[in-house]
Amino acid sequence: MKPPRTVYLRWPFGHPLGEPFNVPQQQAVLIEAFKNLYSIDVPGTIVDLPFKWRREVYDRYHADELRAL
Amino acid sequence: MGDFLRLKNRLLAKMSTAIPFVGKILTALYHPSERKGEVPWTVVVKRLRECSVSIVTTAGVHRKDQTPFDMKDPNGDPSLRIIDGVASVGELMITHDYYDHRDADKDINIVFPIERLREFAEDGIIKAVADIHFSYMGHIVGPHIRTLTDVTAPEAARRLKSEGVDIALLTPG
Repeated sequence: MKPPRTVYLRWPFGHPLGEPFNVPQQQAVLIEAFKNLYSIDVPGTIVDLPFKWRREVYDRYHADELRAL
Repeated sequence: MGDFLRLKNRLLAKMSTAIPFVGKILTALYHPSERKGEVPWTVVVKRLRECSVSIVTTAGVHRKDQTPFDMKDPNGDPSLRIIDGVASVGELMITHDYYDHRDADKDINIVFPIERLREFAEDGIIKAVADIHFSYMGHIVGPHIRTLTDVTAPEAARRLKSEGVDIALLTPG
């Protein structure tokens, strides 16, 4: 498989969006995915997201920043 | 024999999630099928607020009233499940023995973030959640790879195009 754009998380298998019912965490992953949809300009790029699983402050990510895209 | 294999696969899946070292070893042993050719690429020309978004997942998600993926075939199941955009999370389930989906069973949004996308659409961040979404189970080996690459994956691509979907969000299991 050759996805054109990828955001990668070093999280446990089966948790690509994070933990159950952790809405801010799930939103943060989507926010970064959409931002990278617009910023990646080389096909096949994989961006390592720096999220630290439970030790991250996800409330600081706001979907409003996507309005500029 | 089929039941023993299912038990073994489920055990390995749970160990891969619970013990990251085991997951790393199994990942290193896995050799994914690679196709020759360039990475597909489409330039994004629309604003995000003008885009409809569809989920394409390999997490084995399907509606409860759809035929589950075949877990007794050791080569996996290359078939496709199409999920309508209005399906509630309560109408969905997962059939996939090759990853530990106990957490995803509690909240399917961690592999199939349909409710998060609906919130983005309500807030005007994206234009809409697409009317259809696509699901495979991500353990497809041997002869079934050909079915996936030549039949069921192109089918999803055709439907994405004919439905006018702007963004395909791919999620693994």
